Amino acid sequence: MTTTTLPLRVPRRVSLPVPGIVVWLALVAVLPPVLSRAGLLSDVNALRLCAATAFAVAGLSLNLLMGYAGQISLGQYAFVGVGAFTTGLVTGVNDLRLPWLVGLLAAAAMGGLVAFVVGLPALRLRGLYLAVVTIGVAYAGYQSLFRVESIGGGSAGKPVPRPYVGDSAIATNADFLALALVVLVVVWQLDVNLCRSRFGRAFQAVKADEGVASSFGIDVARTKLLAFTLSGAMAGAAGAILGTAYGTVTGTVFRYEQSLLLVVVVVIGGLGSRAGVVGAAFFAILLPSVMIALFGEGIRGYDLVLNGALLMYTISRNPHGLAGAVREARDKRLERKGGLPPLPPTRPSLPALRPLSGAPPVRKPRAGVPVLEARDVSVRFGGLQAVDQASLRVDRGTIVGLMGPNGAGKTTLFNAVTGALAPDSGQVLFLGEDISALPPHVRAARGMGRTFQLIGLAKQQSVYENLLTAQHLGAAYGVGSALLGVGPSRWFERELRERADQVLEGLGFQRFRDTPVGRLSHGQQRIVEIGCCLVTSPELVMLDEPSAGMSPAAAEDLAQTLLDVRDRLGRTVLLIEHNVPLVLNTADELYVMDTGRVIADGEPVEVVTRPEVVRAYLGEVVA
Amino acid sequence: MGQVLVLGLIAGGIYALFAIGIVLVHRGTGVLNFAQGEIGTAALLVAYVVVHDLGAPWLVGALVAVVAAVLLGAGFEFAVVRRMISSDPVSTAVATVGLTLTLVSIEIIYVGDSGKVLDNPFDSGFTVAGVVVFPHQVLAVLVALALGFGLQRLLRRTDFGLGILAAAQDPDAVRLVGVPLSRVSLAVWGLGGALSGTAALLAEPTVGLITPGFASEFFVFGLAAAVIGGLGSLPGAVAGALALGVLEAAEQAYLPLDVPGERYLLLLAVVLVALLGRALGPELRSRFLGPARPAAAEVTA
Amino acid sequence: MTPMLELQQVTAGFGPVTVLHGIDLVVPEGSIAGVFGLNGAGKSVTMKTIAGLVPARTGRILFEGEDITRLTPEKRVALGMGHVPQGRQVFPQLTVEENLRLGAYTLRRRARSRYAAALDSVYDRFPVLRERRSQLAGTMSGGQQASLSVARALVNEPRLVLVDEPSAGLSPKMQHDLRQVLQVVKDSGVTMVLVEQNVAFGLSLVDTANLLQTGVVVHTAPVEELDDETLATHLGIGRVLAGATGSALHARKGV
Repeated sequence: MTTTTLPLRVPRRVSLPVPGIVVWLALVAVLPPVLSRAGLLSDVNALRLCAATAFAVAGLSLNLLMGYAGQISLGQYAFVGVGAFTTGLVTGVNDLRLPWLVGLLAAAAMGGLVAFVVGLPALRLRGLYLAVVTIGVAYAGYQSLFRVESIGGGSAGKPVPRPYVGDSAIATNADFLALALVVLVVVWQLDVNLCRSRFGRAFQAVKADEGVASSFGIDVARTKLLAFTLSGAMAGAAGAILGTAYGTVTGTVFRYEQSLLLVVVVVIGGLGSRAGVVGAAFFAILLPSVMIALFGEGIRGYDLVLNGALLMYTISRNPHGLAGAVREARDKRLERKGGLPPLPPTRPSLPALRPLSGAPPVRKPRAGVPVLEARDVSVRFGGLQAVDQASLRVDRGTIVGLMGPNGAGKTTLFNAVTGALAPDSGQVLFLGEDISALPPHVRAARGMGRTFQLIGLAKQQSVYENLLTAQHLGAAYGVGSALLGVGPSRWFERELRERADQVLEGLGFQRFRDTPVGRLSHGQQRIVEIGCCLVTSPELVMLDEPSAGMSPAAAEDLAQTLLDVRDRLGRTVLLIEHNVPLVLNTADELYVMDTGRVIADGEPVEVVTRPEVVRAYLGEVVA
Repeated sequence: MGQVLVLGLIAGGIYALFAIGIVLVHRGTGVLNFAQGEIGTAALLVAYVVVHDLGAPWLVGALVAVVAAVLLGAGFEFAVVRRMISSDPVSTAVATVGLTLTLVSIEIIYVGDSGKVLDNPFDSGFTVAGVVVFPHQVLAVLVALALGFGLQRLLRRTDFGLGILAAAQDPDAVRLVGVPLSRVSLAVWGLGGALSGTAALLAEPTVGLITPGFASEFFVFGLAAAVIGGLGSLPGAVAGALALGVLEAAEQAYLPLDVPGERYLLLLAVVLVALLGRALGPELRSRFLGPARPAAAEVTA
Repeated sequence: MTPMLELQQVTAGFGPVTVLHGIDLVVPEGSIAGVFGLNGAGKSVTMKTIAGLVPARTGRILFEGEDITRLTPEKRVALGMGHVPQGRQVFPQLTVEENLRLGAYTLRRRARSRYAAALDSVYDRFPVLRERRSQLAGTMSGGQQASLSVARALVNEPRLVLVDEPSAGLSPKMQHDLRQVLQVVKDSGVTMVLVEQNVAFGLSLVDTANLLQTGVVVHTAPVEELDDETLATHLGIGRVLAGATGSALHARKGV
């Protein structure tokens, strides 16, 4: 359930050469001390910029959660507080007296841990439960934990000493600002690495549609928890910066309103745009001083009012915030110059993709064992028997069609087979094994790919990104490798991209590579969907009304694609269809359902002329 | 024991009033209103201005405050919620966050650090189970119970009220019978505002001091009660809120941690446990009772 | 005579997708117009556009000669349009009588005194509803809910009733009962637009058939002039299934 406005092109992620980050690091490490010694950066302003930097890191953490994973946290600042107090506890003169870097890492670890504990129950459920839990965290922190003597240092506050380099402290604000900015750059880069990896794609798929994500093989609950934990860790790091900058932290710093202000920052800056969020963070922190300088003391406090009003205005106009509005304006200009490129006339044939090395081994079906078998499956919704003892058998290397009028139970049966719902009775066997108890993403992992009746793609993502996300399960590298951008993640990503390129070429869709899928016509989306299904080399391809909304020419293309899948790739296909000529031209076997029951099964041409089938479609003639 | 019960009900009554507002707005328009608390604080400050700066009696101030709260709620619906009818619920919830921030920041400017005191007529109380109970506290509980269990019946009596109930069940069908859905929305938000204002007015005399973010400190308990109850039924939300109040009082009496603001720790713990229960519930149930039945929501073909 | 309902080159859709590509439709007063088409042809979007739930992008919608293209659904109901939605959509947690009271919302606002009589007449036509007036609508069977849905539309004394796939999900016996109900409505002189995927069911009730394919009305004809060939080609169901519609028509003509 996301919004309807989509960008015209999803910007292609240009890989920065490694030196890029080195340049940034050098720049931020050198600039503030130089400016300060030149008299251009006052001590007070440097402190303000430190606070702004901390806020920016916190903003990035919330951006990861809200902009990427689509979850809402109203207590993010409490995690910043956790980080700040942890740093004080670890580096404090009266406490553990460990080096600052250890304090920073401890702050991040603590932030992540608290987020993990708090997120675990809430994220298994849909809806705004996380928001409610995070409000609870905000209040528990500010009103309670941060006021405890041992944690928060009582009314005097918790001292957080500046870091030492050898024997000298990084005492001046400008010098610390350099360090703070270094942390910001590092966190930014980690964030970028993460979002380019399969985890980032998983976040976005979950945000777009949890059901779609699940069918891509993504464990939705675990993905949400990962996003929340990482964002908690980032916020903890922000706390380390903030605490050290101020020198002393008390609980009153981490008020509930600050968490709300973070939400403002992320929304106005543009959900998903890092530069926007960092910019908005700086704006939010520096605004009060600017306003007071311009309008005098009397204006104190009005900056928050302005921010609140701005949030309401921005989100009601454009849920993607300011960056979204900018993008839309840019797109309108692009659109006037011409829209999307047309589909090329001829289509090369599909490549035979070899399985990914990291993919779970595709169980080779034993000879004679059908790829899929449904035995006496029944599903009941309240008073309605949606599927009534339906049995179905799909043999290897065939195309099987499933037809029937609206309400016949076809999609419900499909859902029972893929695991989207649990039938009341009956069994589902895949490659000879009973999978009736397995959840959908595990079935997907074993080789069952499907497309949805209402396009099952992440609409905001480009065609290319969807093809990558579809391979989520095959790319088995971990979060650490993803964050650092080295090792297995690089290797796997390269493979994923190769396969995506192959399928893209096979479908003839290169020109749509970076187009958000939601912008394509219905027929084109269908083809992308099938591509996503194929890119994982599933054993069984399940299609739900693939020709719906397609022109006759596109349907012909589709028919050829299906035959290719069977003959060139040696796969098995099960499809729900209304288009009789399509089915007659492709299917080896045809099942017909009506009011939940399978009423016919056999050779397509023969089945379609049976009187009970005809009657099912055109209805009883009741005298 | 009796003391715990009485103290718990006093607190729970306020929580329940907020919980009713949350459930009402959520069921009626599908939006989770995080600003439900702050609308109350804002209304309270309006009462303060009327009583202190204009010299009116408390009752007049209270009435004006409730009217202000209604206008605030309905105004927000008109200006913001209505525009977001095609957006996802997260975006609309974020809009309520914007309202919360705006209100709190205005309160900070107006109230500052000292807080305001609102003169009220509730000085004399009576003793129940060793606790001095004041009329406004009793009123809160009574109103919460009356509305929680009787609001539905009240709504059924009028056509428009019936339309509100129907809108919670099927907004599209409501339009197809000719009930103006936009007006229903407006009424629901206005009513939510009124509940918020009333809750804040009845909570203030117990605390005695109005600070920025005052009402939200009660609101979060009401929110928790409503959400744990599943946002489905009014009586459930009221019962949950009252139970939460009693639980809070029990914790204070029997297991005090001697930590500042420990009621918030309790709140967080309760929410986490309840959600954990809800999350594990289906799994536990299926282990003992067999696979879950599918939701009747999406049945297409 | 002014037609009860007229659609002139109406286009409509969702977001970037256009579903209706220029619908022309004329519904004379007192008749029953059928709109038939396969899945994806645009039947439900057509109904939603007439109702006002989906805005028409171009073209006009005229109700008794008045341009209602920009009116909200509520206002259209107040003007005399009634709806029997797809899936019936009765209010499950309200009683039968409460559903009917809501159905008469605009009647009670413009002529409250007529409500009692309207309610009575509806109960006369649907005695099963009178029996169960205090029963929660959600606990009734599919067929009873169908009757309630029709009654809820009728109690408001509409001049035009839009019926959206009423036979969906009903057993043959229930469909038979439903047909009787709709026949009674037809006999009372109310104009109807009936959208159906079950072509045979629809053909047994309507006067004129409008055949819809990919968002355009491709053929309009009175039922007597239809033959199986025309139906098959214009609905796009392929020659193989063509034979069946013939028998449906013959049965109707024979009656």
